[in-house]
Amino acid sequence: MVTLINTQNPVKLKYPKKHDHYGFRDFFTFDPDKGTIVDWNEGQNLLTTEDFIIGLVEGLQEEVGDASAATMYVIGCEWGQKDAFFFEKWFEKEFDRNMRQASLLFLLETWWWPFTSQGWGRWEVDMGDRKQGFMFINIFDSAVARTLGDVGKPVCFLYAGLFAGFFTELVKKQLSCIEIQCYSMGETYCKFLVGGQDRIDAASFWMNEGANARDIEKRLRSGELLR
Amino acid sequence: MLSQLKRLSLEVDGRYASDAELQFMSDYVKSFNLRLQTYQKLQELESKLIEQTYTKMRSLDPTLFMQGKDDFSNKWKMDTTRTFRYVAIALLINDPDTLRERLLLWFQTILHAFGMERAADVTYQILQEVVKQDLTPPQASLVCPILELTRRSLGGVSA
Repeated sequence: MVTLINTQNPVKLKYPKKHDHYGFRDFFTFDPDKGTIVDWNEGQNLLTTEDFIIGLVEGLQEEVGDASAATMYVIGCEWGQKDAFFFEKWFEKEFDRNMRQASLLFLLETWWWPFTSQGWGRWEVDMGDRKQGFMFINIFDSAVARTLGDVGKPVCFLYAGLFAGFFTELVKKQLSCIEIQCYSMGETYCKFLVGGQDRIDAASFWMNEGANARDIEKRLRSGELLR
Repeated sequence: MLSQLKRLSLEVDGRYASDAELQFMSDYVKSFNLRLQTYQKLQELESKLIEQTYTKMRSLDPTLFMQGKDDFSNKWKMDTTRTFRYVAIALLINDPDTLRERLLLWFQTILHAFGMERAADVTYQILQEVVKQDLTPPQASLVCPILELTRRSLGGVSA
């Protein structure tokens, strides 16, 4: 999550159109006098420890109990929606074109790169089922799941909200997201399903019945939905 | 080299470095003249090597430069030139880790988004063959491992 601040990155000043700027030393500008860390897109960043993430998750759990998952999801949604506008601006500035004129996969990779540099993990988007109205996203090294470890259930509600919010703004259609496989369930990576509410409800129901990610993918691809 | 220096400065926190830990610096100093010569040669031959690679690729498979009906030869030349310059500086300062962090990890995802991994795989394979024709074996032995790292990263061979 970032706040805009006016500090110029020396590499950006010299090479404003440099697209390969996601290395640690290129992407972030540290200003020891002001105590700020500003990224390439002029967002202010904060460094946090894993204790911060544990504090956030457990503190919320203590405050609102079982509603903490939904709260994290909603926070993620708002973040994703705001980030979609933020992204639209910097994409246009960097590439001199509207984001809707760009190739979709290129656009998505470009959106996620700042998150990768910030430590939210690498991703892989599976758009194979886009025409059926859903898609899958894999996250490798989720900051939340990596911190909480194997707790036997999905924990990346913030990410699910972020994807729901961003893709809703991108396609201008209400979309939701659910994590159907998580590193915190002992899996090697996290997997998210993005789609309309009916599909997310179906996936959630199947998960409660004990279905795994592969079962859910299979059922969605065969066109199955809740009756 | 820069990555190794950074690692060394972190590892020798509050103590002196051992001879073994300093070995990479003397290795670098010994190889510096060869690195500089090779770097300058790459600079001099850049357009020739890239043009030769392009011609070989075209005769091998002209569809490598096609995406649907679009011919992206010019874009290929720009991208290959840019990557070639990154390879050259990685060779000069002996720092493939920085090449990977600053360029390859990002560029890999962009080429994947455009389905260009096969073209990248062939590019950096042929570039190694072409480079060997103009460089001495010791010079080529410095460049080719970095071109191979580039091929493996961008060609979809490894993540």
